Amino acid sequence: MRARHSLYLFTIPALLVIGLFFVHPIILTFDMSLTNFKGIGEAKEVGWRNYERIFSRDRYIREIWLTLWYTVIVVSALTVTGLFFAAMLHRLPLIRNFSRAALYTPAMMSFVVVGYVWQFLYSPLNGGINVALRDLGLGGWEQNWLGDPALALYSVAFTQVWMFTGFTCAIFLAGFAGIPEEINEAGRLEGASSWQRFRYLELPLLGPSITVSVMLTTIGTLKTFELPFILTKGGPDGATRLLSIDIIDNLFGQYKFGFASALSIVMLVIVLAVAFLQNKILRDREHAQ
Amino acid sequence: MIRTFGIAATLTAGLIGAAQAQTVLDVVAWKGNEAEPAGLPGLIEKFEAAHPDIEVELTYVARKDVDKVIPPRLQGGNPPDVTMVDSALVDLWGGAGFLTDLGTDSPWYDRMVPAVREVMTSDGQILVYPLEVIGMGNFVNMDLLANVGIETAPVTLEALKAACQALAEEGIAPMIFAGGFPAMLFVGANGIDPKGISPAEYGTGARMFVEDANFNASLDAVRDLVAAECFDPALQAGLDPWATAPQEFRAGNVAILPQGAWNIGTFSDVEGLNYQFAPMPSAFSDHGLALDLVGPGWAIPRDAEHPEAARAWIDFFAEEENLRVFLEAEGAYSPYVGGRDTMPDLAAPYTAARAAGSLILWPFSTLAFPKPLQSEWEDSITGFLLNIDKPNEDTLQRWDDVVEDNL
Amino acid sequence: MSMTDVHSAPRANHGADWDQIRRRAKSILVHGIVLALVGLMLLPLVYMVMMSLKTSTEIAQDPLGLPDSLYWGNYMAALSSMGYLRSVLNSLGITLSVIVVVVFAGAMAAYPLARLENRISRVIVMVMALGLATPNFVTITPIYVIFRDLGLLDSYLGIVLAFAALKLPLAVFFYTSFIAAIPIELEEAARLDNCNNWQIFWHVIRPLLAPVTATLSLFVMIMVWNDFIYPLLLLTDKDKLTVMIAVYKFVGNTGIDPTKLFPAAVLGSLPLLIMFALFQRKIMAGATAGAVK
Repeated sequence: MRARHSLYLFTIPALLVIGLFFVHPIILTFDMSLTNFKGIGEAKEVGWRNYERIFSRDRYIREIWLTLWYTVIVVSALTVTGLFFAAMLHRLPLIRNFSRAALYTPAMMSFVVVGYVWQFLYSPLNGGINVALRDLGLGGWEQNWLGDPALALYSVAFTQVWMFTGFTCAIFLAGFAGIPEEINEAGRLEGASSWQRFRYLELPLLGPSITVSVMLTTIGTLKTFELPFILTKGGPDGATRLLSIDIIDNLFGQYKFGFASALSIVMLVIVLAVAFLQNKILRDREHAQ
Repeated sequence: MIRTFGIAATLTAGLIGAAQAQTVLDVVAWKGNEAEPAGLPGLIEKFEAAHPDIEVELTYVARKDVDKVIPPRLQGGNPPDVTMVDSALVDLWGGAGFLTDLGTDSPWYDRMVPAVREVMTSDGQILVYPLEVIGMGNFVNMDLLANVGIETAPVTLEALKAACQALAEEGIAPMIFAGGFPAMLFVGANGIDPKGISPAEYGTGARMFVEDANFNASLDAVRDLVAAECFDPALQAGLDPWATAPQEFRAGNVAILPQGAWNIGTFSDVEGLNYQFAPMPSAFSDHGLALDLVGPGWAIPRDAEHPEAARAWIDFFAEEENLRVFLEAEGAYSPYVGGRDTMPDLAAPYTAARAAGSLILWPFSTLAFPKPLQSEWEDSITGFLLNIDKPNEDTLQRWDDVVEDNL
Repeated sequence: MSMTDVHSAPRANHGADWDQIRRRAKSILVHGIVLALVGLMLLPLVYMVMMSLKTSTEIAQDPLGLPDSLYWGNYMAALSSMGYLRSVLNSLGITLSVIVVVVFAGAMAAYPLARLENRISRVIVMVMALGLATPNFVTITPIYVIFRDLGLLDSYLGIVLAFAALKLPLAVFFYTSFIAAIPIELEEAARLDNCNNWQIFWHVIRPLLAPVTATLSLFVMIMVWNDFIYPLLLLTDKDKLTVMIAVYKFVGNTGIDPTKLFPAAVLGSLPLLIMFALFQRKIMAGATAGAVK
């Protein structure tokens, strides 16, 4: 057993780094959250006042729910699209390389560019989507994609899913690659249809991939900031104001570092809680297979 | 042989070393890149020619990234020699003691326009050398107006409404009124009386927006514009004011766009776009109200490595002919008295309003209105446009709440 | 689940032909649909490239139409001020170094975490999760101060370490999941052969991680390539700047000019795309090798 415990030596480089670059800053952030620090200069202790404010105001509670809901939508959609494309591409080796590269390309662009192009497409006046609908004779379906409070969140979610489908697809393709050929052969010999093979043979074996994909996309989406910010800046009137956007606004727009730190700690706690819950559920499911 | 080489090498290295005994001036600015050159590349060359012992390295950092990237350097004692700042940063960094006092005895200090001088001086110290005052008002597509028989840009509320009706009848989109910025310009121009109550009184909570006659009237004026078919509030509320709205104007799809004069460069790039820059129609003036944004300036951080070279940089910009290059590229006005006007002809209506004294300094840029109020204006005015018939106090009360929170 | 075996004895010639044609048609249809979907995904980027080839006036009038003619002027202008070659080399060097560090340290750390499920493991995993969950801006000032004290500012080593540190939790997370899926019998066999921990890791585990490593490398590659805040913060020497900082110079403070930004963005992302295309083959090789035990 000693041989096995010495295995922990392997974790030392990573732990050192994480300690220095994450644990230390988080402790600093927590300290800051108990002050009214402005980002520079002196910080004055104010105790728990920042946290009291967060939990007593509608605005921040709403943002938390909005962020959670947004994450649910995006992660579900990403998992479905990723699985769909991966399953298809796994069976279509001819176009697999090209398609995978194509799906990946949106993720390779920088956020500013993606944001601008999609803002253009979504523009209610002469944007790409509305003009296309008009040309196809579906003018009645034109919408104010980013300006209608009821739609804005879903439009932003759509862009996010568009951007990251390549990621989840790549994770699932790696998972598919790990499924031994014999299993597929056996299924085919038994006369199972493509769908049946997917549902009963491949899906269960994709357990680890699904876990990784869901957890990573969840954490990433909970923290997401650039894309929603560039598309709507949290508008119209807060309809897409995710927690991360308010944190940045407080941090760099209003220089309320202390308060923004408190919001960051709250966000951190939420992300960790969700991550652990997910981890438990997904790993239990994996072990039950 | 080897010895000769060695000596030659050492001599050469020595020469190179001597030639490089230069000061490298580290300048950070949110102008001077490809997108907003502001004449800086040319000015840098001129400065280096006049100061052969100084080499200027300009690093472009966008305004929103300056907040992330410069404070660590200030606190770490490793700041740039010169940094661009605006009033918010002067307040923040200067308040924390990280900027050098340039001295109210500087030759250019007394030449500052009094209103600007007042804003920029804190506690008897002047921590910034202001570079520009930039206008905000209406961009007006003269060709579209000509189509409905109007020859001059509207500068009164009546003229504006008349223009809107005429344009709407011809099926031309009259006006952009996005909640995030254009609408704010109109609301501000009709709520702040240049000869009346100082905006600072609202900002400190001494006065409430909710009971204020001017701002209530301003919101009513917005409804008047809607009635005159200037725009569809539900459609415009969430429109992006920074990329989409100017694009519509450049494409000639809309006649009137409230925006800042910094767009003049890109608008003039479009062939065949015949436009003017006019002041905002306001209840307080017959000439239209010019909304001047107090722009950025240069500051020298406290721990700068080459303060004398930094000072030389500032003195360079204090020379009128150099500042003029900057202002012309920027489409801005000088914050100093007596400078020659560099604005193009298409801004004639705006310049005329300024000359007639019909102007206010935009309160968000002078910090008369606190920073959090700016995002609240953006959000609440968008909300107001989405729900145009709701009572004024719903919107105005939000402003008062934010002011109170900020105290 | 036994249905009529598709390999059953051929019926009359007609029947066999029809079967083949149907199957062929279905295959073409499926290929077509998937390709069309993929194409739709690419459409916004096609717009971007089209816009980068137009003049200001063209964009003003018809932003989403085909360009009248391929106007390369924007690209020329962008290239002349980007210091392209140097910055691409910097980006490449930094990105590849980060990938190497992250893959090694991450896989190493994940090995015990995946194999030994006890209290210690759980604590370490929690610490790793902290790294994943932390928002980016929290780390900016502390990293700057630490680097300044360590003298790592404005150095390649510094920026590689910073990026590696930031992406490490991701790697650990990835590897922990996938190592757990590797059957334990392989290691037990190696242990019977008297291999120590390191040998087992290097010779047994590491090769099997190829598909995961490939995927992880791609993720890290994209994230490091596109990040400009850290290079902006930690690098001041003009010769060390990365390509995304060069692209960043085309961004304005209020809105952007597509004729300036898009060509720069395309040029900035091009090396990434090329690298991806090149690595595709490695990935395919790695993936199939992994499946074959």
